[in-house]
Amino acid sequence: MRERLASVAKLFIGIWLGGVVVAMFLLVPQYEGLGNAGRIIIMHVPTAWVCVLAFTISAIYSALYLWKNKPEFDNRALAAAENGFLFTILATVTGMIFSQVVWGIFWNWDPRQTSIFVLLLIYAALFALRSAIEDLERRRRLSAVYSLFAFVTVPFLIFIAPRMAESTLHPNCAFIEGSECEGIELAVGKIGLLGDRKVQLLGLSQDGDVVTAEVKVSEPGLTSEAILHPTWSASEGHQIVSPEFPNLRYRLTIMSADMASQSAKLNIMAPGTGILDNRITLYTFLAGIFGFTALFIWMFRVRSKLLDIQEDLQQREGAFA
Amino acid sequence: MNIILEDAVAVYVAMAVALSVWIVIFIYLWRIDAHAKEMRRQLDSKSRTEQNPVPTATLRAQKARESSE
Repeated sequence: MRERLASVAKLFIGIWLGGVVVAMFLLVPQYEGLGNAGRIIIMHVPTAWVCVLAFTISAIYSALYLWKNKPEFDNRALAAAENGFLFTILATVTGMIFSQVVWGIFWNWDPRQTSIFVLLLIYAALFALRSAIEDLERRRRLSAVYSLFAFVTVPFLIFIAPRMAESTLHPNCAFIEGSECEGIELAVGKIGLLGDRKVQLLGLSQDGDVVTAEVKVSEPGLTSEAILHPTWSASEGHQIVSPEFPNLRYRLTIMSADMASQSAKLNIMAPGTGILDNRITLYTFLAGIFGFTALFIWMFRVRSKLLDIQEDLQQREGAFA
Repeated sequence: MNIILEDAVAVYVAMAVALSVWIVIFIYLWRIDAHAKEMRRQLDSKSRTEQNPVPTATLRAQKARESSE
């Protein structure tokens, strides 16, 4: 009975994720400014979420191993870490595809890309550590301790560091409620950073209700410069024209302006902001999170089972040697 | 232009590729799971038969008795 239920659950995961793939391409509408590239969030965010879940489970089993000293806990910690590593690679690759479309480059050493790369290195070092120690007991104990230390970096590298950095292009505001892209307040002549672009407010003029800013934007490395003219409605308090940054699908927008002090609040509008306002996109996104979590649980159980078998066989070989 | 890369067709091609990849991964996982289950079953049944084995000394004594008879 239990085996039959397990088989039904696995079939359900197969059909569910197949449905998510179909919905991702056929039901989710194109998002303005992103086109078909916006669909990738249905894959990208759930894989990133699963890597956090997997590393958390790995840390829990590592702690349990240190406490109870049972080999099966070490096997589960390893299985979760391996799966977490795999899902982190998937999140990185899907993010790179998105960045190629939106930022015009696969790898930009953006804070978000750098932090996930560091995370990959930290967990790759765990596997290197495991393969470098011959003594089984010592390998388990050391990797459990290392896994706990590695986990301490996960919340910092995934949630804190990319949000602390002011010069990220990653559209945090798109997905996380309460997370605001606040923009920067600049007086005429002053320089600031929006994303990874240098901006300088050259001038501010008002014609009736319309406030126009003259902004010089420079690409990273100051390879090229352009002058943009975003406009803002003083009476209604919203942007009228938000021009695109050169070679980027991000727009420069005025959030507020004060003619008396000759200053304006400028912001970068990421495509994808508000992408989940669409109900179909939101439900597909949630279905993706559920499906990928279930897939991870399945993969984790299979890998744990295989590691247990491997351990059993090694013990038998030792006993008969 | 290649018909596969045309906007209206490309989305279906991408979907077919993604779906095919998922089907292959699913079948692979299913098979590994089934193999693991089978191996576990074999190991468990083996360990049951290996429980309470006849000690070598008893076997030797039995053999000696049989040969003397």
